[in-house]
Amino acid sequence: MDDLAKKALLPAGLQDLLPPDAAVEAAVAERLLACFARFGYERVKPPLVEFEEGLLDGTGAGLANQTFRLMDPVSQRMMAVRSDMTPQVARIAATRLSHSPRPLRLSYAGDILRVRGSELRPERQFGQVGIEMIGASAPAGDAEVILLAVEALKSLDVSGLAVDLNSPTLVTAELDALALEDAARARLRQALDRKEAAEVAALGGPAADLLGGLVAATGPAKSALGALAGLDLPTAAQGAAETLAAVARIVHEAAPDIILTVDPVEQRGFEYQTGVSFTVFARGVRGELGRGGGYPVGFEARRAGPAEAAVGCTLYLDSLLRALPRGERGRRIFLPAGTAWAAGDSLRADGWITVAGLAPVDDAVAEAGRLGCSHLWAGGRVQPTDGQV
Amino acid sequence: MAARDGLVLALPKGRILTEIGPVMRRAGIEPETAFADPEARQLRFTTSDEALSIIRVRSFDVATFVAFGAAQLGIAGSDVLMEFDYRELYAPLDLKVGLCRLVAAEPADLASDDDPSRWSHVRVATKYPRLTRRHFAARGVQAECVKLHGAVELAPSLGLCRRIVDLVSSGATLQANQLVEVEHIADISARLVVNRAALKTRAEEVGGWIERFRKAIDGAPAA
Repeated sequence: MDDLAKKALLPAGLQDLLPPDAAVEAAVAERLLACFARFGYERVKPPLVEFEEGLLDGTGAGLANQTFRLMDPVSQRMMAVRSDMTPQVARIAATRLSHSPRPLRLSYAGDILRVRGSELRPERQFGQVGIEMIGASAPAGDAEVILLAVEALKSLDVSGLAVDLNSPTLVTAELDALALEDAARARLRQALDRKEAAEVAALGGPAADLLGGLVAATGPAKSALGALAGLDLPTAAQGAAETLAAVARIVHEAAPDIILTVDPVEQRGFEYQTGVSFTVFARGVRGELGRGGGYPVGFEARRAGPAEAAVGCTLYLDSLLRALPRGERGRRIFLPAGTAWAAGDSLRADGWITVAGLAPVDDAVAEAGRLGCSHLWAGGRVQPTDGQV
Repeated sequence: MAARDGLVLALPKGRILTEIGPVMRRAGIEPETAFADPEARQLRFTTSDEALSIIRVRSFDVATFVAFGAAQLGIAGSDVLMEFDYRELYAPLDLKVGLCRLVAAEPADLASDDDPSRWSHVRVATKYPRLTRRHFAARGVQAECVKLHGAVELAPSLGLCRRIVDLVSSGATLQANQLVEVEHIADISARLVVNRAALKTRAEEVGGWIERFRKAIDGAPAA
């Protein structure tokens, strides 16, 4: 490996975004935030790094093994680089904004860093844009967040949107009632995660029928909710199922054009969530565009009263960029060296991107082409570089 | 564009392929004639259903094609699924074909006075390093794996390492290589796998195929 190649090589999962992708990513984040702002969500900006015990408390606990840590030489305490922004916003809501009126609607955008990428997303650093509603009440709060995520993605012209609604507590309640040993529970959980109907039937014991019914109640919202309503759920799970149905109803009414599916057994990545969770997909796009759901806010150890209910949604910028058409570079015009500043001003006001020559050249047309300009400024007017008018 | 909009079913070459023929026919899938020709260089085939095409790939690659959404449906042995453990895969149906077992085996003369429950460390030649490590770790044994892509049964006799983890159906290959089974790891069968995002964004179509395969394995001809 020569010296230049060594300098160019980045650690696994990290990359440079180049033109036009970097600009597209920034513009996408801006448009999403603008959409959230129109619905009353105000932006917060937490820091990149926090003390470990704060960042990995409560909803953040599930990300402990995905989090980079470093020692703070000043305070001699362990710090952690954020691997998800939701716990940070939850912390802000529980501390500095604990006296702000509820429901508290906040939005955020920023990059996060993870120890390992996944199969579908090898990136270890990627951008998140999201919203959190703290002091939310079901089902209206859940539905608002889902609809707003859909609205924001529609504003970017993402087509074929699909929202999968989940209720992680449904299965947890079932598994708790079974009182299985850890290993047996893990096997059953894995079978549920993979929707292996035969294994669920074999491992489910007295709950096999019910769990099998939950696996079967997966699919388009209408039929799945019908199947779910037909199940003889224990009292603890009935409330969760009703909330799920209510959220589905509101979302379908407001956005009948999106594909709405229900999956009562999906739980991966939702382990710390309560209430309704959801994942956003787009047809033809690999992996998830975003996910969200309900969770409790408040510091586990120091929590004074009952936890506040919150619901949020995070959209992943890297997946979104894959879902969008490649960015355009805009109309570029070459201003040969010596062009008056004022001439450029009026062109820029007309929407041109001006690229100025620094020194006189013999062939201005060729120079314009070399610099990626479709037009040049010559003889006091705009001229195309291909000679046609 | 039509080809992109259709669904792709990934099938594994080899062992399972011959056994799933009847299941596919009962599910109403008739591949084009070139599919039956093992000499065909073609990798992608049309079927009687114009919305479904078939790709024929290595068994381990079925899981990868489906996990990444390059194929929406696939048929893979549960050995492959256990080895990869892809999050993006659902395995809703046991097709009950391609039945075999995943076992640990060693030379007969070694097995005669070997007690697997006393192992603390084993070196194993296998096509399934991750699955093997996970299995032995769960019972407190550290497994050091030598990854092979085939002919695993040769490893002990040539001194590559004394033990292997591999699929066994009749046991004839083990016997021919003077190996005996010392530990049963898992029962294996072929599974219908589907891509998670495809099941969500194309719920009706993909769900419809799952239903057709379900009817096909229950024996009744698909409606």
